[in-house]
Amino acid sequence: MEPAMGMGLVALMGAAATVAGCSEDLESDIGSQSNPNSQVQLAAQVGYPHRIFNKAISGEPPSNAMICAAGAGVAAMLMASTDVSPLIAIAIGAFVGALLDGIYSVTSYIGRSTSQKRFNQYVYLDVLRNQVLSLMGHAYITTFCIVLISYVMTYVMVDPITGLGGHPFPFPVIALIWGLCVGAIGSSTGDVHYGAEREFQDFKFGSGLNAADSGNITRFAEAGIRSSIDNAWFCSKFGGPATGIAFGMVVFLDNWRSTVFAHVINGWGAVIAGLTIVLVLALYNRKLETYARKKYGPFPEYAGDIEA
Amino acid sequence: MSEVSAETANQIDAKGIVIGLVGIYIAGMSGIPYLAFLAGIGAIFATKMGANAVRSVCSYGIGTGVPSIGMLALGMGIISAMFGLAFGWMVDIPFLGPIVGLALALAIGFIVGTLANKVIKLNIPVMERCLTEIAGAGVLVLTGLSVMVAGSLEFPDIARDVVSTGYIAPIFILGALGILHPFNASLGPDETQDRTMVHAYSCGAIAMLIAGICSIAINPIAGAISAVVGLVIWYVTFRGFVKLAKRDAGAGWVGTGLLPPGAM
Amino acid sequence: MSDITVIGMLAENWGSIIGIILGGLCIAVGVHFVPVGGAPAAMAQATGIGTGTVQLAAGSGLTGLLAAGYMYMTLAGVSEASISDVVLISATGAVGAMIMITVTMLVGNWVYIYGVGVPPASAKKDYDPITGDSQAPYVAPGTVGQGIPTVCFVSGAIGGLLGGLGGSLVYCMLMWVNGDPAISSIFAIGVFLVNAVLPSYNIQGTIEGFHDPKFKRVPKAILACFIASLLCGIVAVMIPGIPALGGA
Repeated sequence: MEPAMGMGLVALMGAAATVAGCSEDLESDIGSQSNPNSQVQLAAQVGYPHRIFNKAISGEPPSNAMICAAGAGVAAMLMASTDVSPLIAIAIGAFVGALLDGIYSVTSYIGRSTSQKRFNQYVYLDVLRNQVLSLMGHAYITTFCIVLISYVMTYVMVDPITGLGGHPFPFPVIALIWGLCVGAIGSSTGDVHYGAEREFQDFKFGSGLNAADSGNITRFAEAGIRSSIDNAWFCSKFGGPATGIAFGMVVFLDNWRSTVFAHVINGWGAVIAGLTIVLVLALYNRKLETYARKKYGPFPEYAGDIEA
Repeated sequence: MSEVSAETANQIDAKGIVIGLVGIYIAGMSGIPYLAFLAGIGAIFATKMGANAVRSVCSYGIGTGVPSIGMLALGMGIISAMFGLAFGWMVDIPFLGPIVGLALALAIGFIVGTLANKVIKLNIPVMERCLTEIAGAGVLVLTGLSVMVAGSLEFPDIARDVVSTGYIAPIFILGALGILHPFNASLGPDETQDRTMVHAYSCGAIAMLIAGICSIAINPIAGAISAVVGLVIWYVTFRGFVKLAKRDAGAGWVGTGLLPPGAM
Repeated sequence: MSDITVIGMLAENWGSIIGIILGGLCIAVGVHFVPVGGAPAAMAQATGIGTGTVQLAAGSGLTGLLAAGYMYMTLAGVSEASISDVVLISATGAVGAMIMITVTMLVGNWVYIYGVGVPPASAKKDYDPITGDSQAPYVAPGTVGQGIPTVCFVSGAIGGLLGGLGGSLVYCMLMWVNGDPAISSIFAIGVFLVNAVLPSYNIQGTIEGFHDPKFKRVPKAILACFIASLLCGIVAVMIPGIPALGGA
């Protein structure tokens, strides 16, 4: 394969990963998955019943790994036993992944709300109907992109010099690993925007959640009661795209350095390039930290050296 | 909320192990490929056994969320399951495979549970027992679904049809979620055992359904049978889950509406 | 009757068992370096990355594993890699995991700084041990810090390095035994998860990095993971791969 073609594939994978990261985060924001969900769970217990979705599928990384691995498994089966084109197979696989996401979401919303009956938490069937299709739509996009990335890594990428084809791991295992990875990234980046800002939007901007306000989530919208489908509207302004950039950067940078520098200095080129990337990111992070400290300054409530 | 049909952990374990092993043996040794789905049914009961263990250990706070304990058990489970099958093949007695895998997983699970309690000092009284159960359930689920996909107990068949093709990935993670999800999705003070257990059946059936679909690439007819049986079991148990949730939610099961009175 | 016996495989592969234990210990120590704030961090209520220990360690370590698997194939195909190749493969995996975790921490800081409007600060130390910046005035009232200050960032990068190194080492050792990427990759995931979960019980969900007092608990995790990896290693090296099965 031409090196330029290899670079094009890496870029395509980066683009698909960006889309996957974004849709993954928006899906978890609509469903209120992962760590911010602890506040949704707590809200009813401290006397604030709500109409927010409660999607607890064993943490974000395993649930995304599940839909991606199942999608890839179905796609692999279709490619092995029929002669459909890979794209159709991946699309069908992604559809199965989205269905699984829907089933698990429904059971967790019903299950968790029912288990909080004594706190006056109702099971609203319209909440269920409204959000589930949106969740499944986002899950479809995530699964499609990740299975596509895994497919490209396994079957399309060829080392330009040795001519060896593709990644040695089986295709569904790669999808499983990328699913875990996108879930880990989504829950550490984009979910903070949902958990720290959207969930507590009626508190003052510019600080984290005061422990005293735990569970007092924003339950009312501009008009009426907040529906978690609007979380996608809010989080798609920042948290979702940020997650997309993060996952896109991981997929692109990692594949770029292993593809381009794989044969420089007997392979050590890829290591050195990777370390350089890490160093640049660390320096940028330091700049960002000093910028924030200067811009925002200390908190006005700070009263001398008392341990927080 | 009173327990309506309280099954003790011992009963659930006994059913999980016996049905799990019998299913695997009939599917792997009978010579009739269409019976492969029985291994999947065994896996469903094993899923229930794991889910019940998760339920009892997670009622103590384990500090880092429900999912981790299942990941621990399935990590050990995958290695033990494959070792068991490989051992059966190496000594040329395939019959031994699942039992060796199960015994090994129970032993490793017990040792790791002891480590967690004695060395790391988690001090959860049921930790050893539950980790042993979850690891055992993990092995039975993984062995059962692998045997169902390959239609054989022979290690080379499983290595070729399940591991090299990568179908082990969906089996691994769906098996893990089957054990974790039932309790995690019902977390809360009004959780009831029968609802969680019906949910475990339904999650196990999903794993069976997807494994059956994957198996179509290997044994088309047996795979289709497994998938259809899985789908039917899923449908029935899912309806059952919704019914029990309706029972538990009582007046809180509403089509639509504002927040409950007093909360507005 | 196959000509592969349990004793034979154990006797032949004792080197791999040692490698798997070393890899497991790297993972266990690496998990302690990763700054995770758990659920509170997702509400900007605690310092660190807002997710669970296991998830993040697994996400980064397995990303490294993908890079390592690719490198193994370009260097050695499915044959036994030499020691110097193993060093290179492990380094590649370690760097892959570092990239994943540094990108995550950086973008996490974007969200904390631009999306939530807080400067990163640690509550466990009054002054950042690396930069010397004062931390306490920047901790929001009612919280125990937020975001990922430099010391946590560096600690996280070290954690990614160790996690990726350990995962790749385990993969290489398994490839020595069975020469089968499919079996080795799924077992490496298994060993990784065991060695990531036990330390996460040790740190009880949250840790800020090597400056956190909880970091002193490392020896307990090392002991637990040593035993667990030993067991996993002994079992895993006795499983033959497709090339050994012949004709498959």
